Amino acid sequence: MSDPRHERFAQVLVDYSTRVREGDLVLIESTPFAAPLIHALYRRVAQAGGHPEVRIGLEGAAEALLSAGNDEQLAWINPRLRGDAKEANVRIAIEAESNTRGLTGIDPARQAVFARARSGLRDLTMERAAEGELRRVVTALPPHASAQDAEMSLADYEDFVYRAGFLDEEDPVASWEALGEELGRLAQWLGTKQELRVVTEGTDLTVGVESRTWIPCDGKENFPDGEVFTGPIETRVDGHVRFSFPAPHAGRLVRDIELRFEGGEVVEARASDGEDFLREMLALDDGARRLGEFAFGMNDSVQEFTGHTLFDEKLGGTVHMALGKAYPESGGKNESALHWDLVCDLRGESEVHADGELVYRDGAFLPDIF
Amino acid sequence: MSDPRVTRLADLIVGYSLELQPGQVFRIDGLDAASPLALAFYRSALRAGAYPYTSLGLEGTLELLLEHGSEEQIDYIAPQQWEEIEEIDAIATIWSETNTRALSRVDPARHANYLAAQRRLHNRRWERIAAGEMRWCGTLFPTSAHAQDAGMSLSTYEDFVYSACHVDTDEAAEHWRLVAASLRARAQELNSVKELRILGPDTDLRVSVDGRTWISAEGTYNMPDGEVFTSPAETATEGEIRYTFPAIYHGREVEDIRLRFEGGRVVHAEAARGDDYLKTLLAMDDGARILGEVAFGLNYEIDRFTRNILFDEKIGGTMHLALGSAFSQAGGSNISGLHWDMICDLRADGEVYADGELIWQAGRFLHEPVPASTAVEAAERV
Repeated sequence: MSDPRHERFAQVLVDYSTRVREGDLVLIESTPFAAPLIHALYRRVAQAGGHPEVRIGLEGAAEALLSAGNDEQLAWINPRLRGDAKEANVRIAIEAESNTRGLTGIDPARQAVFARARSGLRDLTMERAAEGELRRVVTALPPHASAQDAEMSLADYEDFVYRAGFLDEEDPVASWEALGEELGRLAQWLGTKQELRVVTEGTDLTVGVESRTWIPCDGKENFPDGEVFTGPIETRVDGHVRFSFPAPHAGRLVRDIELRFEGGEVVEARASDGEDFLREMLALDDGARRLGEFAFGMNDSVQEFTGHTLFDEKLGGTVHMALGKAYPESGGKNESALHWDLVCDLRGESEVHADGELVYRDGAFLPDIF
Repeated sequence: MSDPRVTRLADLIVGYSLELQPGQVFRIDGLDAASPLALAFYRSALRAGAYPYTSLGLEGTLELLLEHGSEEQIDYIAPQQWEEIEEIDAIATIWSETNTRALSRVDPARHANYLAAQRRLHNRRWERIAAGEMRWCGTLFPTSAHAQDAGMSLSTYEDFVYSACHVDTDEAAEHWRLVAASLRARAQELNSVKELRILGPDTDLRVSVDGRTWISAEGTYNMPDGEVFTSPAETATEGEIRYTFPAIYHGREVEDIRLRFEGGRVVHAEAARGDDYLKTLLAMDDGARILGEVAFGLNYEIDRFTRNILFDEKIGGTMHLALGSAFSQAGGSNISGLHWDMICDLRADGEVYADGELIWQAGRFLHEPVPASTAVEAAERV
């Protein structure tokens, strides 16, 4: 007998997040560690009349390719990936690796070749999503997921995600709709602003957002969710910022990133750990030195830092900004093979000013401001 | 510590079976339990300069589809698969189930519909293979479920599988090249035979192979391998045969099958267990009562029955005679939805006569075949 909690989780992902309809080609992408959840999703998609197809990743393949492949092999895109990017109506991705630092020993320059080659595929996916041809949701097992004890890690994950995803509540969909409504109001209000200034320890950064669209995220593309984001003006980011949370990307972890921006571009970059990788990513292409996203994390049920961006960027009381590719639906125009979310904790002493007015303090918007 | 035999098996199939070339697109198919061998394939193909990728499924989803899917869902092929199959130069399929009986309670009609849908895609694959545009090899990664079917511990079963593939040594490819030369010579020799007479316990069967082509299975399409086979004349099989091993079809076992043939067709059939199932399968269509294959199992590293046809049909010292569809490349013309390999153990007191001459006794050919190259040279001299 299957665990009813998996059934409930699958139900929210299939019925609410991705709204699977009859005839949809639905890809369920994960690793064997997520098997019980994949089975629940598979059944739910079939019952909804979709065509479920499972894509199981092979742990170790990326490391093998990046360490042993030649440049042509690194840059090659397999026909399955291309076909899936073109044809899928729905993609449900469950990140579930037993080792999220598996690529630490890889030459960052080779990761850059790999990432550049895949930007076309990523752009196609983003465009199809922006045009409504593709609905996709990303969820994750916690980074300490262990191959040796998948059941246990899944149970750990459930406690966390059930809280963060409101799945412990009577009617999770109603809770998401309520948060979505609040985030919708916030997004509309932020849409009237021209410039934001973020001030906290090590950070004084001004970001132009005039005429850009703020998007409320209510559990349809990420799960758990809870953020509003936009694509900032590409030439109007100035000042310095320190990212207090370690920043994972592409199988590595970079610590204590500090960036200085002038005219929208990173002109100085430092990190206490992984600085080489940071520099290689910034040199990936022209767009990698500019912000493609600026966002407020608004899920107050996520309180612990996990080292996994999917969760950390939703933490109520944080902002995050991404170097690289902008989401077209936000009005952002920045193009890059990179999209790297970096999270800045504002729960300590901090302020955000919108067009000169104090609107946010110590991790929360001022009461009744929007 | 990873098992070095897994890497050797991958290297053998990449290098010897598929002869993967730099720049070729190589897909690795299997279920999640096959991951260690899939990764070894992936690495081996990278070293060969090819472009590998994996297509891994999750055990248990087919069961869910057959249980919950509508007819339309069961019949569905994702559209991108048609383009994908045109781009592939080689596929390795890894069989590695964690429950070999998972489908035993699904509706057979729904399962048949699913297989028919998949066959559309498989047919295109086989067209490309036949045209020489693509290669394929199937192999097995040992799991507890397969070990259990074989009645062995997992580690004993691993020893069995890897020694059958000859990857317990460093010289696997060299071994298979020698096997290939010997099997080709044997096949060539058998090409001149008109009639085989098989004698064994409760068995006296005459099979005409006149004008048919014998094919050597030398590790190209299967690993392990080791048989020579052809498709016999459709109307000339006469006599009786008793199959000593259980015959398995879609996971169901039929024990102690006895068949009597007249004019190529089964005229009497009985089994000690599964008699109804045997008769249902024989009634499937016109071709189901006619032999589509006769073959000698010649892999003597495979010395026991393990309930897996990949191994069983190659047991050294056995013959298998399949009811149903024939191989056109062997000159066969029988058409059927059935192809059911049944294995006859001839190791104890079996004899085979070729046009009246004893060629096989107690599970062995009496003489080594003339090496193929020598035979070709001899033919050229004539």
